[in-house]
Amino acid sequence: MAGLLVIHIAAALAILWWRGRVGRRAFLVGSVGPLAVLVWAIFQASGISAGTPYVQRIGWVPSLDLTFDLRVDAYSLAYLLVIAGAGVAIFIYAARYFSDGSRVPTFAATMTIFAGAMVGIVVSDHLLSIFVFWELTTITSYLLIGYDDHKAQARSAALHAALITGAGGLAMLGGFVLLADAAGSYLISDIVSQPPAASTAVTVAWLLILLGAVTKSAQFPFHAWLPGAMSAPTPASAFLHSATMVKAGIFLVGRLGATATATADWWQPVILVVGFITMVIGGWRALRQTDLKLLLAFGTVSQLGFLFLLIGSGSAKLVFGGLALLVAHALFKAALFMVVGTIDHQAGTRDIRRLSGLRRSMPGTFWTAVAAAASMAAVPLTYGFVAKEAAFDGLVGKETTMIAAAAAASILTVVYSARFLIGAFGPHEPGQEPAGPEAPVARSALLWSPLVLAGAGIVLGFAPRLVLGLVDNATVAVTGVAAAGKLVLWPGLVPALGWSALSLAVGAVLVARPPRVDAAVGAVGTLADKLPTGEGTYRRALPALLTFADRSSGILQNGSLPAYIAIIVLVAVALPAAAVVGDLPPLTRPPGGIALEWMLGALIVGAAISLVFVRRRFAVVILLGGVGYGIAGLYAILGGPDLSLTQLLVETLAIALFAFVLRHLPGTFNEAVTARIPRIVVALTVGSFVFAGGLLANTFRGGRAVADSYLAQAVPEAAGSNVVNVILVDFRGFDTLGEITVLVAATLGVAGLAVPALRMLRREG
Amino acid sequence: MSSLRGSAILEAGVITVSGPLLVFSVYLLFAGHNQPGGGFAGGLVAGIALLLAWVAGGMETVRRVVPIRAGVLLGFGLTLAAISGFASMFAGLGFLESGYLEFSVPGVGKVKVVSALAFDMGVYLVIVGMALGLVRVLGEDETLDAEAAS
Repeated sequence: MAGLLVIHIAAALAILWWRGRVGRRAFLVGSVGPLAVLVWAIFQASGISAGTPYVQRIGWVPSLDLTFDLRVDAYSLAYLLVIAGAGVAIFIYAARYFSDGSRVPTFAATMTIFAGAMVGIVVSDHLLSIFVFWELTTITSYLLIGYDDHKAQARSAALHAALITGAGGLAMLGGFVLLADAAGSYLISDIVSQPPAASTAVTVAWLLILLGAVTKSAQFPFHAWLPGAMSAPTPASAFLHSATMVKAGIFLVGRLGATATATADWWQPVILVVGFITMVIGGWRALRQTDLKLLLAFGTVSQLGFLFLLIGSGSAKLVFGGLALLVAHALFKAALFMVVGTIDHQAGTRDIRRLSGLRRSMPGTFWTAVAAAASMAAVPLTYGFVAKEAAFDGLVGKETTMIAAAAAASILTVVYSARFLIGAFGPHEPGQEPAGPEAPVARSALLWSPLVLAGAGIVLGFAPRLVLGLVDNATVAVTGVAAAGKLVLWPGLVPALGWSALSLAVGAVLVARPPRVDAAVGAVGTLADKLPTGEGTYRRALPALLTFADRSSGILQNGSLPAYIAIIVLVAVALPAAAVVGDLPPLTRPPGGIALEWMLGALIVGAAISLVFVRRRFAVVILLGGVGYGIAGLYAILGGPDLSLTQLLVETLAIALFAFVLRHLPGTFNEAVTARIPRIVVALTVGSFVFAGGLLANTFRGGRAVADSYLAQAVPEAAGSNVVNVILVDFRGFDTLGEITVLVAATLGVAGLAVPALRMLRREG
Repeated sequence: MSSLRGSAILEAGVITVSGPLLVFSVYLLFAGHNQPGGGFAGGLVAGIALLLAWVAGGMETVRRVVPIRAGVLLGFGLTLAAISGFASMFAGLGFLESGYLEFSVPGVGKVKVVSALAFDMGVYLVIVGMALGLVRVLGEDETLDAEAAS
């Protein structure tokens, strides 16, 4: 299983390695990834469907108990098949869609990585690895949407998608941590089998996770990034925004829906309301688009709303309908996106008002579009109809408002499906310059890829048994109960059929009277336009966010070194002090020192106090050195020759380096001593805190367990009798490695800062 | 500082001292495993020696003492330290866990080589690199003058 992820990475690397020669065939190389997943899923299907999940655990840091856990049950399998199936078709399509260009291979490699990340999301059992793959899809989708980076619109759309889904992802990470903390495990399989008890933390966790899913799956009120993301090249839109990325949020709510419903009673209502609003808004906005791709995008928002509420509800009958619809949606939506791509590719536009005569010049594409749009509108004899019946069947018996809302969205779906077909293949609008294909479509992947997917939507309509087992087992896998749902072409005279028939009939009537519909849509539209839209809100929120970031960093990063140091040391004092204040035990005074200690102490304190009153910089440096040498002396007396030696050397080097810098600075401070009062206060606070801390540590000085074990092990384990050095290079060697890394970075930093600064000083002087 | 450089006594003294200091720094590095010292202390002593060299003869002298660029020392030291850590893993030990080899050299006697020495050498090189880098950046007046003039 993990090998499948490696195949994606290897394919992407291979593309990048040969990017000079591979051209658009890069997509064929990339298709190896989804193809491998598809083959694997088909071979594993019978075993997994029978109820034995495929489990793989790879310990990658065994000593820290970090594992990489993969688990594929029937629910994951359903998504795997959808992702891989659509993936193979779209990759092959993309290999024909693009022309050879220097950036095409990079695009293909990014899409391959994206496909791998998507597979990673659905097969991970560990919450944190889900998060990592989740963010990987965010990053790769940012690159894919912003492919046309010379267009400002594409860049801002990519940023919009990345900001919204990235912010949601971060919220989700917080939710994961809280959830895992409450449940005692990061493994989803554990959390689902032993749900955490309801508590405030768990409620917050579900809210945050829901936020992640809502943003990723483009649900209201965060749906606006998805239509914007249509500036991606069409194959990416077909893959990301129909079959995969937007399904990630649905995958997550489906996976956790039953558990969430059990521990939070608000989960189901919230999911239902969010889903319904998304569904209706998406359907409505789709009616008003003139760009075929945007029409599909808003249609997708609408469909995602429906899938979200069905699959996230945690109720077996709804999940069953939702999963049936998920498969249908992937088939017809990927096909329709590719149809749009083909039209755009051949005719050079996808504007409904200009396209003309495509029905005759592109018959194959036309019939593909008819099949897919029929499935989308849930016309009988298509798989879309079968799936929608299952969804209606699940809703029957719930509240009537819910089913009425679903019917309303279905009516909108019928109307925008028809609008798609008529707009794309009908005549152009009067007054617009007509556009048609410059050349007939070659019998290539541009034709076949969408045809296969759309055809599958018809075939499955007549043979729904092919997916029944998959959908049924997937439902059991997440809800624990069988839905006893049906996937049939003719359900008999049941209420669900009534709702389907009603939606179709009303939809057909509306389609048959386009002028009146347009007038009505226009009238309501002028009213609706006054409401805030998702895009508008985002456009207003973004500058506000940037201004806030600007101001807050202006306050926090004000460039004043004394302020930084004051903040750092005061926080370092306040946090531990807050922890011990209140129950401070009586402090014991350590045994009194010898005369030499007192003398050194007096030297240190005297030097430190005089520091405050001195105005010459060089004297300050010397006094600082005096403090340091005094401390080195104390170390020597107290039996720490190594510490003492190092302290002595560091002080010496530091004084000398100070002297270097002082050459470039004025000889004296020209501030009054009174101006130092705030800094004196900070210094006194820190000093007394450290003093009290020392006494406190002395009071609680318990056993010598650590010291004794180090002393005992130094010679036998590390063959060294200087235990300080053995600690540095062996026992705590990792720390030392970290420290020298910091030293290297600091040296480079000093060089980077000092060279230009000195150059400036020289020029002025 | 330039006034200091005029003093012949100081210059002679500094040159006399800095050679033994460098030797002493290497001694500290090797002795560190069993006696006070180690890569950190050794590196600091070498750093001080470099500073003295700068006082005596400016960057010219520093470059004569260590004809290597600071970045090379830093990079090499860090790499050496990291590699020695992984090398322990290949020998079946934990990361940075030290093993040792004992053999006798004719005329010297028994010599014990600890793998941690390589790590400590890395530390030593990083510290020397740091000192050299700082001296170079803060002490290089000549190039700055040349640049300011150009």
